[in-house]
Amino acid sequence: MKLNLTKSDKIFLGVVFGGYVAVIIYIVATGYKFQLEGVGQRWIYQMPFGEGPLSRINPLTIIMTWVVMGIVIFMATRVKVFKLVPGKKQSLLEALLDYIYDLVKDSVSRKEFVRPIFDIAASLFLFVIVSNFIGSFPGINAIPLESGGVKFTILSDSWYAPTSDLNMNLMLAFFVFVMSHVYAIKVKGWKSWGKSFFEPIWWMFPINIIGEIAKPLSHALRLFGNIMGGSILILILGYLVKYFVLPAALWGIFGLFFGAIQALIFTILAIAYISSLIE
Amino acid sequence: MDIGEGLMLMGKFIGAGLAMGIGAIGAGIGEGRIGASAMEAMARQPEMIGTLTTRMILADAIAETTGIYSLVIAFMILLVV
Repeated sequence: MKLNLTKSDKIFLGVVFGGYVAVIIYIVATGYKFQLEGVGQRWIYQMPFGEGPLSRINPLTIIMTWVVMGIVIFMATRVKVFKLVPGKKQSLLEALLDYIYDLVKDSVSRKEFVRPIFDIAASLFLFVIVSNFIGSFPGINAIPLESGGVKFTILSDSWYAPTSDLNMNLMLAFFVFVMSHVYAIKVKGWKSWGKSFFEPIWWMFPINIIGEIAKPLSHALRLFGNIMGGSILILILGYLVKYFVLPAALWGIFGLFFGAIQALIFTILAIAYISSLIE
Repeated sequence: MDIGEGLMLMGKFIGAGLAMGIGAIGAGIGEGRIGASAMEAMARQPEMIGTLTTRMILADAIAETTGIYSLVIAFMILLVV
């Protein structure tokens, strides 16, 4: 395979590689002390009112969610005008969305629901893939201290991916769950939707309910385990080799490769859960 | 550190190791079977290698799920409780 790189491509690659070398030089020069304190800990902020579950928030998740949404909106504004002869960004985006559209068209039998389900699936895919990719670049992270404060660390960990918080994934999976039942009610009507819980025999009702609840739970835990397990594994292995060469390869594998695969699987399962109820 | 605390730490470490080790068996067998079948299919139809590789990676990621659950449980035992 012969690579045809234009001048701007070469500049981009040079900037990426130079940035990585600069990060290594910065880490070695400042003599950053690598420690494993705060692995798996989250920065939780207690709101001044109340003691209930809604009074505790995770500020890093909220900030990074807005950052991810900003990136997606920025990407959307850059390829707003669709031309007949597509440019580079437009053809990449068209290929991506075309693939998801084919997935939806193959699994949804009713024609009138293809477009709305495609909208849901494509927005889920874009959000999840951008937030997984963000977790593969070194950046700023916050670690809670024993005394109750928060310490901000620069370049010792990757950016905090919003999908490595279980609350985020549960919210996305719950959204898919609610949408699938909304579509089921729309297609079948209230009566036959309610009857579908007593499907083979009436005493199968509890098993059907458990089966429905297990869907969003496994949907959320799959993404959460992959992203958070990957980030903790990178931290521990990076601690062993003092962040010299290995973390870049691991960030590439876990953030880019597994991140893309898990985003695709999240989307495929969302399509399957929605389309299985409107048969 | 008194003996109760030590016993608790020992239980945590043994439990996390067992959760990860036993949980990885099923995922390993599943991924191995997927890889074997994909290799067989690729040997039979070499012109389909591109499609088969994509499908194989997707199926691998789904078979991996149970292993990932045990990883989550091991992390919960080690870090949360």
